[in-house]
Amino acid sequence: MIDNGLLVQMLIGALLGVSVYLPLAAGQLSLATPAFYAVGGTLAALLSTSWPALGAGAKGSLPLASFLLELLLGGLLAGGLALLVGRLVLRLQGIYLAIATIALVEIVRVAILNLPFTGGAIGIFGIPQPFPTTAGYLLPALGLLALAGWVCQRLEVMPLGRAMAAVRNDELAAGCMGIDTTRVKLTAFVLSAVLAGSTGALAAHFLNTWNARQGSFETSVTMLAFVILGGSRSWLGPVVGGLLLTALPELLRPVGDGRLVLFGLVILLGPVLFPQGLITPALLERLGRVGERAEQGEPQG
Amino acid sequence: MTIHTVPPGTAPAPPPLLEVQALTCRFGGLVALDRVSFAVQPGEIFGLIGPNGAGKTTLFNLISGLTPPSSGAVLWRGAPITGLPPFRRNRLGLARTFQNLRLFDGLSVLDNLLVALQRQPGESLLGGLLASASHRRAERQRLERAGQLLEELGLGGLAGRPAGTLAYGDRRRLEIARALATRPSLLLLDEPAAGMNPSEKDDLCGLISQLRRRHGLTVMVIEHHVPLLMRLCDRMAVLDFGVRIALGTPEQVRHDPRVIEAYLGGAQP
Repeated sequence: MIDNGLLVQMLIGALLGVSVYLPLAAGQLSLATPAFYAVGGTLAALLSTSWPALGAGAKGSLPLASFLLELLLGGLLAGGLALLVGRLVLRLQGIYLAIATIALVEIVRVAILNLPFTGGAIGIFGIPQPFPTTAGYLLPALGLLALAGWVCQRLEVMPLGRAMAAVRNDELAAGCMGIDTTRVKLTAFVLSAVLAGSTGALAAHFLNTWNARQGSFETSVTMLAFVILGGSRSWLGPVVGGLLLTALPELLRPVGDGRLVLFGLVILLGPVLFPQGLITPALLERLGRVGERAEQGEPQG
Repeated sequence: MTIHTVPPGTAPAPPPLLEVQALTCRFGGLVALDRVSFAVQPGEIFGLIGPNGAGKTTLFNLISGLTPPSSGAVLWRGAPITGLPPFRRNRLGLARTFQNLRLFDGLSVLDNLLVALQRQPGESLLGGLLASASHRRAERQRLERAGQLLEELGLGGLAGRPAGTLAYGDRRRLEIARALATRPSLLLLDEPAAGMNPSEKDDLCGLISQLRRRHGLTVMVIEHHVPLLMRLCDRMAVLDFGVRIALGTPEQVRHDPRVIEAYLGGAQP
């Protein structure tokens, strides 16, 4: 039921979930991830279809090095944009920041729709493929997710990650403890954008076609649902949320037309049954203890 | 210890650690502080008293940079810091606690201190990600220092507990430990003894003197409990309706007629 294509999509969902999680870990509800995803994807689509130096073949193939370069450039462009925009929008707090970032998503969507070189409503298609099959995308998607997870995990024992947690807990007190709160929020926002941009570049190749609809308000809400269902206290939460909620509509296909209703029901019931999300610190601690016991138990039995 | 009060007109040799000059703060029509001036000398414990609503916490907020003044200036070692944001003032050596406690409740006791033990020069984001030698060394120093501070404030066994689950007195002391972790020269304590019983207040009194000695601190304390302040402070200022009505040693302040009037009520026949 889960084929390679769906697996890659699920991984992309998990990556975007982590991208929403990063600013949230610094207490910032930003819904800008689809904008950066769209920017990264559009850049990759444009470069690989129109820049001969990347070495796109006549049969729509692409050297792996060019693909990796695009992931990097997509991330950098999105990160650069976040640096510019972040200084402005991060002055806003709470729901106002969310609204401003939704506006950013719309601006990017309309820009991509109307720019002379992005293919208008049809978009860009025939994007060259670095891999002969969809299974090829599993490894880079997993690699990107491992990288993102590793960064999130390291952050917890670094001054930056602690500063993010402090800002999330009490921004005013964090400032009085010498934390440059503006800089911390901006860094989290940029990290989130870099991840979304690289993910967009990967998705553009995977989907083979790219248009303005890839980053819309609807995507913002879906990505937020990843984090709400999975939980926002650990980066594993949005990963689980992204994997599950991307797979669910496909797995529910046999149900027929009612599947979107069921999907909505899951999003609705998730927070009711798991107010902190599926992955909570308490759960991780329990799993850790079980793991320890298993390790200790092994030598005897 | 001796307190140097500089007579007007002579050039002071070392500038005071902190000086506020004609500090005024208006909230709409309400004048919370009205041209308040005084200087705090290095090493002293400086008390701030006044009836409720006198503007004591507002003054702390102006000094720590949380509220911009309507006019007037705050000087740090003689240089103006009036426009600096709170984190810059903290990095200069000014730390504070809050009247209503603002701990990072979701974080562990240890993490509350580690947050305040900032990045050291030479530590980079990449170094942290790759767990470079300099990052590991800095991290070891942070853990060591946090452990010392927890021991010093009697929180040794609580490092792993979420800060939100601590008893009230422990929370008060954790907030002081967190402020100390930023290595301040001046510590602002906003009602550190609020809600404590007399014996706890005595302990706190001893703790503050001890901390001043060990950390080379200058301390400003807001406190309602006048006997405690009288005992603790080298000098004190009295605020009433945003106006500084007295300044001097506890003995001088105790006998100031305006202070007696503010506390016991005026308009005596």
